[in-house]
Amino acid sequence: MPDTPRIGVFICHCGTNIAGTVDVEKVAEFARSLDNVAFAETSKYACSDPGQQAIQKAVAEHRLNRIVVAACSPRMHEPTFRACLAQVDLNPFVLEMANIREGCSWVHLREPALATSKACDLVRMAAAKARLLEPLSVRKYPVKRAAMVVGGGIAGIQAALDIADTGAMVYLVERGPCLGGTMAQLNKTYPTMDCAI
Amino acid sequence: MADVGRHPNIELLTLSEVKEVSGHVGNFRVKVKRHARYVDEKECTACGDCVEVCPQVGPDEFNFGLVHRHAIYQPFPQAIPAAFVLDMETCLGNNPRACGKCAEACEKHCINLDAVDSDVEFTVGTIVIATGMEPFDPLGMTEYGYGRMKNVITAMEFERLASSGGPTGGDIRRFSDGKTPKSIAFIQCVGSRCEGPGNSYCGNICCMNTIKDTLLLKDHWPEIDVTVYYIDLRAFGKGFEEMLKRSRQLGVRYIRGIPGEVEENEDQSLTLHVENTETGLVEQHQADMVVLATGVQPRAEAHDLNKLLSLQLHPEGFLLEAHPKLQPVDSPVRGIFYAGCAEGPKDIKETVTQASAAAGRAVRLMSQGEIAADPYTVEVNEDKCKACGLCLKVCPYGAFEWEKGAKAEPIEALCAGCGTCAAECRFEAITPHQFSDAQIVAQVEASLSQDPEQKAVVFACNWCSYAAADTAGVSRFQYPANQVLIRTMCSGRVDEKFILRAFELGAPIVLVSGCHFVDCHYIDANRQTVRRVEKLWDKLESWGIRPARLQLEWISSAQGQRFQKTMEELERLRREVTPREIAHTRRILKQKLHPPKPKKQARRKGVAAHA
Amino acid sequence: MPEDKAHFKCLRCEAEFELPYTPGKLEERECPKCESNSVRRLKTPPTGQED
Repeated sequence: MPDTPRIGVFICHCGTNIAGTVDVEKVAEFARSLDNVAFAETSKYACSDPGQQAIQKAVAEHRLNRIVVAACSPRMHEPTFRACLAQVDLNPFVLEMANIREGCSWVHLREPALATSKACDLVRMAAAKARLLEPLSVRKYPVKRAAMVVGGGIAGIQAALDIADTGAMVYLVERGPCLGGTMAQLNKTYPTMDCAI
Repeated sequence: MADVGRHPNIELLTLSEVKEVSGHVGNFRVKVKRHARYVDEKECTACGDCVEVCPQVGPDEFNFGLVHRHAIYQPFPQAIPAAFVLDMETCLGNNPRACGKCAEACEKHCINLDAVDSDVEFTVGTIVIATGMEPFDPLGMTEYGYGRMKNVITAMEFERLASSGGPTGGDIRRFSDGKTPKSIAFIQCVGSRCEGPGNSYCGNICCMNTIKDTLLLKDHWPEIDVTVYYIDLRAFGKGFEEMLKRSRQLGVRYIRGIPGEVEENEDQSLTLHVENTETGLVEQHQADMVVLATGVQPRAEAHDLNKLLSLQLHPEGFLLEAHPKLQPVDSPVRGIFYAGCAEGPKDIKETVTQASAAAGRAVRLMSQGEIAADPYTVEVNEDKCKACGLCLKVCPYGAFEWEKGAKAEPIEALCAGCGTCAAECRFEAITPHQFSDAQIVAQVEASLSQDPEQKAVVFACNWCSYAAADTAGVSRFQYPANQVLIRTMCSGRVDEKFILRAFELGAPIVLVSGCHFVDCHYIDANRQTVRRVEKLWDKLESWGIRPARLQLEWISSAQGQRFQKTMEELERLRREVTPREIAHTRRILKQKLHPPKPKKQARRKGVAAHA
Repeated sequence: MPEDKAHFKCLRCEAEFELPYTPGKLEERECPKCESNSVRRLKTPPTGQED
């Protein structure tokens, strides 16, 4: 467990996607008032190269050990920011994202004041969780170089051949007595007007 | 097909069904049931001696029952494996053996009537699902008379009729009298783009398939009068418009309007009643034969397999991809990919393209030798564990070592990270990485630290309801700004104490949301969600707290609108909760959750003093 | 009341209705009126309904 949490909060404008509705400067100011937050700033596009470099620079300058990125959904850019932290030898799992785009600016377009206050809540929640985050290591698994293809129609045949040609073993499982599927029952096929078999 | 048969790296398992899949990406353990063929696949030369003596016949499935085949048969001459197969349903039977003539006739002794089904087991790193399509069955659409009128046939039956390997050797003949029809009518969109007995979506291939058939007819039987009835013609692929143009040039008539009814005339030719939407008139047309361009639907038999692999289905029944645009051949389960019509209706070119893409994605995963996974496993605190075994009981993966009286030990390789064990553990002995009790409670507390009466706390699972919130965002579906979302990997992670803590802090409404039952990403971990919510409803009621303040909702990743509606409804429910009710709840929970225990405290103090 | 049915109440729209029910089986239930899944089984059937 590293020393006392020093949280860095980065609030993304996402161009106007977030900043057009949410007062991002106000959110940054709010973030600075939170416990353990050592640094907070906004970023035009946090996911861009300059945006990531700014995060990395702040990590070094302010000895940050927990990161909150308030931007889009973690389902979108969590891997991006994790990789960004790994580059400066920060554990990728000390990151928490606050979803202030899909979960806020985009769904409260006509209520900028409420959206800003909700963004503050989301940042407060992310910081509260970030405070308790611990470094983790990624699990690695061996991968068996074999595939199962279920279905022996044209799709299964093509997939099986492509995989098998790379040297991997393929188990082609077909319910019926032979290959071909629906395709084999066709007389001629378009656009070539040739035989299906 | 022949390439598959002779490929050194392909093991072809016919008459086989996947019965069990366990493990995970990189290491799926598969059990397949292989039904007996009764004919030695390697030895059989397809000479046909057995067929000649077989006394039994049944409908020939390959020709849609238009002709018959024997109980021992070859599905079609080019079939791979090029071996006969005995259909025990049609055969007189092997136990007791009623006939056995085929086995006697086979000089190479390839036929073993005592063969039994066998289990085949193997381990694979990746899986490609290519279970394909089945044509829509128009029996339910009585207006077209299919099944009642001999000369009304489906597009697939027409394929067999036109095939040189088919029942007529490729001659187009009427089923009623064997005569060549003078006129053929094609009806488009049968079972597609409709309400009622058919499917709501476009079959994708039916327009082009009909255009192809009209070209075939005009090339070989130019004297047959061909008419196509359509809603609109979808000839959108490369070279497709040219085919349509050629069809029109060859004299095929295209009439915009779908017949409302087909009637049989005395000579078994047909009268089509159709509103021609170009002329605006209701017209009667005659045809010697009607071909129904039936739509495409996913294979019903594939449903068990989809369930086995926890794959999600699109509302139309096709497999749901991980992302409709960016990961069109990936399933939401890592290491499983889609190819062909199982994912959606498509023609051969698209199918081949997608199959190659799926193969490429699978190979990409396997070529690295190892893969990385999120470290969302759990830790068990041995001091707190009371060896009750409940964690193992609720774990969908059996990812604990536990025996009666022994402390639970998590099995990291099996753990998928749903966290439902931690929600179940009564002793707070289990800590899921990145989603610990302390971390989630901290989020609850932070969300309610200001104006709690204005908020609804929403627990959303990563794969479905949280993704649905993203979908709502991407679609700009607006909803009230009073909710705060707390993401967990699975709704099964949501512990009763998170919910009670929210109420204790003054939350008017709490929502637990997750995947629909069929969609659960952790096999069935969300069944635990239901059980806990139902239990908590009872508990709340017995404590004098309105159960309705705890809501439960299943929202799939595609249901952005359902998410929006749920948020609106939550806001309506939130407004109904008065400050008085909130204060009352807080008082009750203070008593129930932190009861004064003077005796116990004294004892504890005593222990501390001793120490 | 037949054994395979039970009374339920929607905790969102307050509608009451009958749905198939097997004791001990966890199921996905939906309110036929508002499509909510906040559907709770009523342990005592509503008054006025004798089965």
